[in-house]
Amino acid sequence: MRVPQATGWIVGCSAAFLLAAVLLPWVGPGTITIQRVLARQVPDYPILIELRLSRTLLGLLAGGALSVTGSLFQAMLRESLATPYTLGVSAGAAFGAVLTLALNLDRILGFPASWAGALAGAAAVLAIVAGASFKGGQLSGVRLLLSGVSLNSICSAFILLIYSVVPERRSFSITQWLLGSVDSVSYRALLVFAASVVAASAILILRARDWNLMAVGESWAAARGVDVRRVMSTGYLCGSVLTAGAIALTGPIGFVGLIVPHLVRSRISPDNRILMPCSFLLGGVLLACCDTIGRVVLIPAELPAGAVLAIIGGPYLVWLVRKRF
Amino acid sequence: MTALMEIRDVGFRYASRVILKSVQLAAAPGEFLVLLGLNGAGKSTLLDILAGLRIPGSGSVKLDGRHLSELSARDRSHWISHLPQGVRNELPFTVEQVVLMGRYPHADRWFESDDDRSHADDAMLKMGCLAFKHRLYSSLSGGEKQRVLLAACLAQDPRILLFDEPSTYLDVDQQLQCYSTLATVARDGALCIAVTHDLNLALAHCTRLLVLHDGRIAADVPVEQAGREPAWLEYLSPRLKLARTPEGRPWVLYQ
Repeated sequence: MRVPQATGWIVGCSAAFLLAAVLLPWVGPGTITIQRVLARQVPDYPILIELRLSRTLLGLLAGGALSVTGSLFQAMLRESLATPYTLGVSAGAAFGAVLTLALNLDRILGFPASWAGALAGAAAVLAIVAGASFKGGQLSGVRLLLSGVSLNSICSAFILLIYSVVPERRSFSITQWLLGSVDSVSYRALLVFAASVVAASAILILRARDWNLMAVGESWAAARGVDVRRVMSTGYLCGSVLTAGAIALTGPIGFVGLIVPHLVRSRISPDNRILMPCSFLLGGVLLACCDTIGRVVLIPAELPAGAVLAIIGGPYLVWLVRKRF
Repeated sequence: MTALMEIRDVGFRYASRVILKSVQLAAAPGEFLVLLGLNGAGKSTLLDILAGLRIPGSGSVKLDGRHLSELSARDRSHWISHLPQGVRNELPFTVEQVVLMGRYPHADRWFESDDDRSHADDAMLKMGCLAFKHRLYSSLSGGEKQRVLLAACLAQDPRILLFDEPSTYLDVDQQLQCYSTLATVARDGALCIAVTHDLNLALAHCTRLLVLHDGRIAADVPVEQAGREPAWLEYLSPRLKLARTPEGRPWVLYQ
């Protein structure tokens, strides 16, 4: 793909991302008028700025983080079904976060405890799943998915275990979190999250050519001059940080890392230089839109973004499997 | 003749299994070496060591007097291109995108330059895949895929090319084309080393035969002498016999 064409796609996706950030906060139960917001009148101003805008931004960033991680895992592990969710990395992050919720930890080393827990859980699961799937220097896709499924169930089982032993008050907050909802967060938390997402994604995207070669094979990449060990550890680190951050703030949301990279790969380009940035931007748009849909379909109740995504993503996965095998 | 690649006492083991005991080899630009040997003789392992993908347990590999282990991955890939065996079938890329990967060590920018593209086009032309450069790799036949991978190695523009069974999946005509292309690349001043099991293909194109046996290079025969000294055949099978083509070139018969 020529440079102008690639730039066109990235500009287009960025426009969609910005448009979503500007427009989606206006959608929701109860109408908000621009005049009242500009005049900083209650309740329009706080609803828009404190609730819906922060929530939309969280959706955009978390969706972006999860789908760029999906495209990363698909290149790094050479398995088109590899995502934070199918590999159990999301469940690992969720388990870590739930554990900190149950222990009533608040902060670890200055960071929110649930983030630290999620990061530890994500990194541990990723290491176990990738380690278990190596045989004779080769990663096997089937082993990868099987160990991902196993780790997923193990982590879910531990979450249930924790859930049943903690006092009721705390189990309620765990339930809330486990639904996988994009909720309003403080701008301070959002800022830290945004900084880590932007940094990790930028590191990955700047290595996009390396990921193209890695998607063919490790010795293929090494023989063309890629420093495989360094690139792989960058991938593990950034993938864990992105998944953990997104999961800690939104709960275990699946599928966005599957749908978006696959759509971008088949409709726009399989080249990671375009695939990764476009996945990030469109993944953000998709999750933010799902959150908005969930906010308006069942007024006054709300459907969590994770559920909306699963309703769309589940059938897509079935279709993908049918097409592939 | 100066040695472009010099291998001294190279040994390698997997856990307790000794694969290579002591491999010695010196090769010059313009040579086309064929590496023969039984399954499990360590041909692929040796090729991986020469490509810098595996670290030998003992001994040294030198390029133009410099130790291979001192080069960074990127510097190494300016010298050496390696085609591994069994690249996966379902690459999501187009033919051109795969071939352009060969330009990785040359392009500093995020996108390839026009120079990279013309190198890639030349390589695709040589391997006969320019006509379908915009097709998806996964939609190609086995033979076409192999030609695309070979083109990527040529596009890399290295001084040494290592091929692990480059003619797998190719039909007879394409096998011949593949080997004559490699022979041309070698004549133009590169050093080519290919692993193969096809003895007659090797005899028809290469300049030197190497037989890997019992962790050593048991036979190292210039192709002109291969017909006169048939001892190298004994390492491969007792059921081989050396004959001559009407043009007087050596030819292996199966019995």
